Amino acid sequence: MEALGLNLPFLLVQIVNLIIVYTVVAKWIVGPIVGLLEKRREKIAQGMEDARVAAEARANAEKEAARIIADAQAEASKVVREATERAESAGKDVKAAADAEAAKARDAALAEAELERNRILGDLRGQVAALAMAAANKLVGEALDEKKQRALIDEFFSGVKAGKVIVVDGDFKGDAAEVTSALPLTSEEQEAVKKTVSAKDFSFKVNPSILGGLVIKVGDKVLDGSVAGKLEGLRQTLK
Amino acid sequence: MSENVQGGWRFGTARWIVLAAIILGLFLFTGFFGVGLGIKPIMPEVFLPGEKLSEEPLFIIPFVGPFYYTNTMTGLLLADLVVLLIAFGVSRAVKSGKMALSGMSGAVEALLEALYGITEGTAGKWTKPIFSWFAAITLLVLASNWLGLIPGAETIGLIHEGHGDYAVKDLFSIGSLKVQTIWDETDAAHEGEVAAEGEHHGAAVIPFHRPVSTDLNFTFALAIVAVVMIQVFGFRSQGMAYLTKFWNTKTLFSKPIFGVIDFGVGLLELVSEFSKILSFAFRLFGNMFAGAVLLFVIGSLVPVFAQSMFYLLEFFVGLIQAVVFGMLTMVFMSQATQGHGEQHDEAH
Amino acid sequence: MEAAAAKLIGAGLAMIGAIGAGAGIGIVTGGAVQAMARNPEMTGTIQTNMILGIAFAEAVAIYCLVVSLLILFVF
Repeated sequence: MEALGLNLPFLLVQIVNLIIVYTVVAKWIVGPIVGLLEKRREKIAQGMEDARVAAEARANAEKEAARIIADAQAEASKVVREATERAESAGKDVKAAADAEAAKARDAALAEAELERNRILGDLRGQVAALAMAAANKLVGEALDEKKQRALIDEFFSGVKAGKVIVVDGDFKGDAAEVTSALPLTSEEQEAVKKTVSAKDFSFKVNPSILGGLVIKVGDKVLDGSVAGKLEGLRQTLK
Repeated sequence: MSENVQGGWRFGTARWIVLAAIILGLFLFTGFFGVGLGIKPIMPEVFLPGEKLSEEPLFIIPFVGPFYYTNTMTGLLLADLVVLLIAFGVSRAVKSGKMALSGMSGAVEALLEALYGITEGTAGKWTKPIFSWFAAITLLVLASNWLGLIPGAETIGLIHEGHGDYAVKDLFSIGSLKVQTIWDETDAAHEGEVAAEGEHHGAAVIPFHRPVSTDLNFTFALAIVAVVMIQVFGFRSQGMAYLTKFWNTKTLFSKPIFGVIDFGVGLLELVSEFSKILSFAFRLFGNMFAGAVLLFVIGSLVPVFAQSMFYLLEFFVGLIQAVVFGMLTMVFMSQATQGHGEQHDEAH
Repeated sequence: MEAAAAKLIGAGLAMIGAIGAGAGIGIVTGGAVQAMARNPEMTGTIQTNMILGIAFAEAVAIYCLVVSLLILFVF
């Protein structure tokens, strides 16, 4: 043992020394360093946890954003559709109103034009009669009784003589009667026509191309008492 | 030698220092082209026990014996000093509140962190108390091993006349303190021959400092404390049930043949606890002592450059042995806390 | 033969036992390196066990060294 260098006092000293060193190391090296290690691990774990939470929050936010965008898109398309529908219906309304307005305006214009023409033709009637009388004077060579002449001309144009419709006879019955004359009829003549023809509604039209007399249309019957018609009949018979 | 230059004539500083050192070594130890000093390398005497530096015992422990101051005691005190300095440095650095230490304490922290990871993987919930022993043993042994590598260790000391076989040569003196060296004046025929028994007529150096891990007292002290603490951990974790590891009568009557075998294995476990002391003590002592002798021998055979390589090897061995001593202690302690689960049969 | 010479020879012969330890350490390390190459995640555990195995194998060489030292210095 002595040759190997083992001796008891030295061994005991070494053991005591080792225990002292153990105490020092355990207290001043291992304690602080293990504390440090654990603190660092905790911090790292905390950091990882924070990162995980942050990542989760980010994922949630992304999902939320996607949802919001989808909602907004749906909303927007709905709004657009509604607006389109509304605009279409409004447009239809406007168009219909405009159409109606236009039709009304056209009708009014037509009626006005009709009235104007009738008035002008009515004015013309006197002048035509005067011209016709002058022509007849020249033709016949004698002056007819002016009153007689005027009556004759009126009769020619209107087919109404002394309050009676002379150009037509027969029974006319119907709902609506259309009376066409070459020149506008006076109100007395209209009354006479109304008396002769029994119908609920009367409409009086002016068509200079029939030259004179009346064409009366009641229901599906047409009675041609016009000068043009008579001339046509004459032409047919002369042929 | 020339392989240092082979890398090309680049202007790194370190390689020029190495080259200069090699040339200085050649100049000192060879008669190279007649310009060298031709100093003959000394083959030192190998002492197994720590050499006594004091003739009189330092103190006498009652009933035990006298205590002499040996050169390994210097090594022990230096190792203690290093551990204390590390302790102060680390505790001060940790108190400063930094999350990562730097410098010396950072290196210690990195080493201990690695060891702590190993301990956690093995010891489980007993990690903290076991790790204290692991760290204490590793740090003390590491300090002791590496202190043997500082220049001057095992070379500077007292000249002991009439012990070795070399002549004494005066170098210079400071006041009354004479600085001397031993000098090989023998012929080439006797070169390298260690003095035979009883032929001491010259002088030898008794170094002031020798690493304490080359002293069996230190390694035995470590081994005894480690094995005792292994038993302490066994009792702390399992109570008296720990004793059934050695005195296993549980299966003695229930299983006729295997019960007897189990009982025998229990007794072998008891033997293996004692053999642990021996193997712990001699592993560290053998490695470090052999390392020191290896450095002597290589230094005396090839005094130039070759020893540097073995210095690096010893540096590595010192770390490995320190960690192995601590790790074996740690593993045995964890096995003791874990009971019968996973026993290795260390029949060595 | 002188006793001193016989001691030296005996000490040298005692160290022959280190051959076994060397072979054993080589086998242990080779196996551990192969295992680590196959399964790098287990490196820590394998290293711990490898060092344990090396320590046990080395114990044999240590016994040789002790015997050798005993022959040289004690007897």
